[in-house]
Amino acid sequence: MMKKSIVSIGLALLIAGCNATTPEKPMSLKEQYEAALARTQAAVKKAASVDGEWRDVRWKKSKKRYLPKAIEAAKAGDYEKALKLLKIAEFQAEMGYKQAMAEKDAGPHLYGL
Amino acid sequence: MRKIATLLLSAGLVAVSTQAVSGPKEDLEKFRTYFEQKFPGLQLDEFGNGVYALDANKRIQWEAMEEFPPYEEFVDKGREIWEKPFKNGKSFADCFGKDPSKVRVKYPRWDAERQQVVTLELAINDCRKKNGEKPFKWKKGPIAWLSAYLGYEARGQKINVVIPEDDPKALEAYEKGKHFYYAKRGQLNMACADCHIKYPGHFVRGQLLSPALGQVTHFPVFRAKWEKKSKNGDGLGTLHRRYGGCNKQVRARPFPAQSEQYRNLEFFHQYMSNGLAINAPGYRE
Repeated sequence: MMKKSIVSIGLALLIAGCNATTPEKPMSLKEQYEAALARTQAAVKKAASVDGEWRDVRWKKSKKRYLPKAIEAAKAGDYEKALKLLKIAEFQAEMGYKQAMAEKDAGPHLYGL
Repeated sequence: MRKIATLLLSAGLVAVSTQAVSGPKEDLEKFRTYFEQKFPGLQLDEFGNGVYALDANKRIQWEAMEEFPPYEEFVDKGREIWEKPFKNGKSFADCFGKDPSKVRVKYPRWDAERQQVVTLELAINDCRKKNGEKPFKWKKGPIAWLSAYLGYEARGQKINVVIPEDDPKALEAYEKGKHFYYAKRGQLNMACADCHIKYPGHFVRGQLLSPALGQVTHFPVFRAKWEKKSKNGDGLGTLHRRYGGCNKQVRARPFPAQSEQYRNLEFFHQYMSNGLAINAPGYRE
């Protein structure tokens, strides 16, 4: 009984070890872009749900418009630029959400009134 | 140790309950006292003159400008709009009453039936739609001209926004507007209150910051900045145009003019200037 258990554990460890060392196929730039876009869009939606969006993420009158410009860059095949812009957009969307959450209890009491 | 803990806990509960029961009237009282202490000696109605009540040099320039005000021709255009009948033969007087001087002071108001804040501009476009006319655009042009005319006619009357305290929805709208004013937003992490409660009288770059008290009395406003952008010298804009500009400056995404967020904000903002004389339209840099 004891021997069988040791063998089973050994086999399990071996399989797990093999899996861990199997090199994963690196994501192509396009795949990285698609994953980042989905993450960013979800973050923007979350920020918008609490009225916490920042100006330059996607507002039509902003000169920066990181998200739409990332999509444009990807359409033109420039995934590196698209990923760079998405990184900023995702960060700003996350910060907008966090800020709105942190300001939930904002009021005159914070200004000495 | 136990006594200290009990004391701290009670103090905390008192603080929380004070915030919870603070209604519009208490808010207004504290708001007024705060500005009276911050600018001792300044008469209440002087707050309606914004930065010109704080800086003597700017005031001289402003008074010179007000002798031949650049907004006059647009106020006249507003009068024409008021007087011109709709295609169905009716006019704005059928919606608002015959006396144009009695209109401005009724807004913003809580509409119990619609369960929302109704601003003057919203009422103007409601009236147009009701009479089969195309609504005006919200931020500038004809809506600002007409609103400026109605403000001009109401000069000297006191702002008198009523928050029906027995209507929880009205109170909720007021609280939302209040929260908007005090909540930091945008990449610069700034609240309306940072500039206009904490630092009025200080400079942001070359601009002197106005106090929150009296900020709404001169709206719609004629701004030199907007005049420069315009092709026909029209620098008039509504309060919601200004809200959008402020949000943009702190790098927050602005809300659309007449959105629920800005109407609630206006409800709170105008209420805080209750008792001050309307002096619209005003000239500002």
